[in-house]
Amino acid sequence: MKTQTNRPTANSRQRTAKFDYLLSGIIKENPTLILMIGLCPTLATTVSARDALGMGVAASFVLICSNIVISAVRKLVPESVRIPIFIIIISTFVTLIDYLIQAYQPALYRALGVFIPLIVVNCIILGRAEAFAYHHGIFDSLLDAIGKSLGFTLVLFIMGSLREIFGAGTLFSKPVLPAAYRSAPMLFAIFPPGAFFLIGLLKALVNKLGLARR
Amino acid sequence: MKRTSPLWTVFSLFITCLIAGFALSQVYSLTKSRIDFQRNVLAFQEAFAQVFPNAERFEPATPDSLVWLAFVKGERIGSIIKVAKQGYGGLVPVTAGIDLDGKIVAIKVASPSEGLKETPGLGLKATEEDFRKQFSGKTATQLQLTKDGGTIQAITGATITSRAITEALREGMEKYQEILKPQ
Repeated sequence: MKTQTNRPTANSRQRTAKFDYLLSGIIKENPTLILMIGLCPTLATTVSARDALGMGVAASFVLICSNIVISAVRKLVPESVRIPIFIIIISTFVTLIDYLIQAYQPALYRALGVFIPLIVVNCIILGRAEAFAYHHGIFDSLLDAIGKSLGFTLVLFIMGSLREIFGAGTLFSKPVLPAAYRSAPMLFAIFPPGAFFLIGLLKALVNKLGLARR
Repeated sequence: MKRTSPLWTVFSLFITCLIAGFALSQVYSLTKSRIDFQRNVLAFQEAFAQVFPNAERFEPATPDSLVWLAFVKGERIGSIIKVAKQGYGGLVPVTAGIDLDGKIVAIKVASPSEGLKETPGLGLKATEEDFRKQFSGKTATQLQLTKDGGTIQAITGATITSRAITEALREGMEKYQEILKPQ
């Protein structure tokens, strides 16, 4: 996990800085492709577009909630025990969401059930708590969480779509490639090595285009 | 108390755990009855309606509730069996409706939230319509993968899961054939 702080430099104007908190997460500081955190769920849950989107939405919800709460209590949290406190807050949110979705949205739970406990180990959430929410106000932390969530979900969605298209010939379980391809698809794309391969290609593309913040 | 004092270090952790524990226990007791209801009643009704859409009433036929009889207007129209067999990641539970001629009406494979541990994108495809619909109208003797000389087309890349489901159903239908026969 990277512990870079994103404090705005002294000469940057306030307005641009706030806007930047929101937008930087999508491309310039994309959690998965630039900061290289949260790779485990990115590799593991992107076997189809639907699963990838489900993981993205569930993790985004927890990230936004935990960033808000952690920035709200940041002045009370002692430096030496901040990590255990963050972990308790994050895992409480994950468990609460697990119960609530299970009780009130059983259809959604059937689709997302396997991914919800995995959110606890998503290091984007602890990473943002540590690197951003602990040093910034509630509103800035909210913007940061929304930006990073969008960036994470976007990469998951791209990975899930590509793996489903090449590995099964479908997108959201709807056929997109000819039946001849679907009967003998490139299964490699759905297997775990396909995920490593694809994220490597995406990272190479991002580097080639020079999208990373310099 | 200062933020850096040792006492506050201990106390802040204590308070965090207290609030988290309280919130969790409250939400747990608030949602428990609904979750149990979803898990037991709804999932069960849904599975039965799915494997025997035209039946109106079900009655257990064995004490372990693995075989059920399906009725329409008091008349028996078939049975439902619940079977399971070791797949790739763990047990694969399958529910199937069987009519009085010993032909499968429809099958349902448990979802991951019901404990299925097959690989997403491969073995998990067994829960999808494309694979399940092959079973409709099949008798016990036809239940074998095409590569084993039967009539069920295995899922590409998930032969173990496909075989577990096919064999679980065939063995179940053979085991319970006395009950499945019309009286």
